[in-house]
Amino acid sequence: MITKLRFSALLKLLPVAAVLTLGACTSTPDLVCNGPSSNNIEVAIGQAKTAMREGCATYFDDYFADLMHIAEGDPKPENKRAFSDFLMWASDEGILNKRQAQTWYNRYFAVKFVSLMGDYNNCSSTCPRRDDVMARMEIELKHKEQGLMRVSGDKSGYYRADRLLQEAELVLAATCSACEQGT
Amino acid sequence: MRNSPWRQYAANAGGALALAAFLSLATSLEARAAADGPTIRLFPTTVIEDIRQTGFVAQEMETGLQDVISRLDQQQELFLQSKCDGAENDPGCDQIARQLGDTYMEMLTVMGDLLPDMEHAVNGTRASLEKRLRTEIGNKMSPWTMQETLLGNRPDGTAKVEPRLRGRSGLRLSERFRQYHDLVAHNAGGSDDSLAVVAADIYLDMSEASDLIARTQQEISRATLMGQLNQSFGLITPEMQQVVSGVKSILFGDPDAAAVVAGPPVDDDDGVYRSPLEM
Repeated sequence: MITKLRFSALLKLLPVAAVLTLGACTSTPDLVCNGPSSNNIEVAIGQAKTAMREGCATYFDDYFADLMHIAEGDPKPENKRAFSDFLMWASDEGILNKRQAQTWYNRYFAVKFVSLMGDYNNCSSTCPRRDDVMARMEIELKHKEQGLMRVSGDKSGYYRADRLLQEAELVLAATCSACEQGT
Repeated sequence: MRNSPWRQYAANAGGALALAAFLSLATSLEARAAADGPTIRLFPTTVIEDIRQTGFVAQEMETGLQDVISRLDQQQELFLQSKCDGAENDPGCDQIARQLGDTYMEMLTVMGDLLPDMEHAVNGTRASLEKRLRTEIGNKMSPWTMQETLLGNRPDGTAKVEPRLRGRSGLRLSERFRQYHDLVAHNAGGSDDSLAVVAADIYLDMSEASDLIARTQQEISRATLMGQLNQSFGLITPEMQQVVSGVKSILFGDPDAAAVVAGPPVDDDDGVYRSPLEM
């Protein structure tokens, strides 16, 4: 649910407000981080950008969640580009680094799982924590359901992600058993 | 009944039948491997040869069991038609019961005779696949490259149109392997991604079959003794009937079982937006 002023943001502002109140001589205005008010995703993204430029960048996660929720109201393929542009903007502004922007995007809008990454081989890096990896992938699939299916209307992409998860589970079960036998 | 030896025989019989499908699968894999120039070698000649050998053994077991089960069927029908169920001290019924017991024991014998060969073949296939999986996917691949392999190494991320099997489905083994064969034999555009799933599935099945064979061999003496005892009393126990039904359902299929194979994904990726952020 989108609100004019997000509750989480209000909570976070309480200490700031207290400090400002106590500091009688200060002239700094209260920082109020409103959530996007428009139900049009392009407009909402503009509002979020403005708010983050004006000091609310700390709440990037909340803005992203709000924007995703708004986009669910009008699922369309173009939303992928809108969010990609938004994340690249966040990267350009220094709110996120490049890697974080990639992770955000891929977690929600790509078929492959960022939860299943690593530079080392499967026997040494994935198998020892296979249960944890699978649990993270399950959570990521929920994010993909939101990003691919509910925001972008990309059913095919979501089904491929779902299939990939199941196949990765199968292949890892066999591979990790094979790795274990070889040690 | 979970630990019934016949249940385990049934499972082994299913494994045997399943492996029979490998006969043609092995040839197809070999042909495809040669055609594709695989980047991962999950099915080299040695593995295919193991599979082929296992297929021969499995076919023998299937043939032997089909015959004996067919006779069991006929005798069972005669037993029921003669209203022998519960009819004690009837000489005719006793004779049918003894015949049923004989056939039942014959089935045990067939299983017992073929199990050592089956065990050898299954363990050989499992060991060779185990080595390939460990080397090709476990040691040579990172989790990310594994994902790329499963998705088909398509740089544009588009979906394959070929159907692929869901891994550990509830399908009877023979049906699953028949579908493996269809998948490999009839999809000319297939690549390593399908093979990785097929290899994993076969390996897990072989592991399961190997465990079942070991447990079956432990049970076979006990089951034989039980069979002999029952036969001496001329009784057809519900357990025997249930076991025969189990073997039949695995060998010849369960018409009520629904196939659990995923269909091809909708290929509607034309013009899909690709973000520069996408990895």
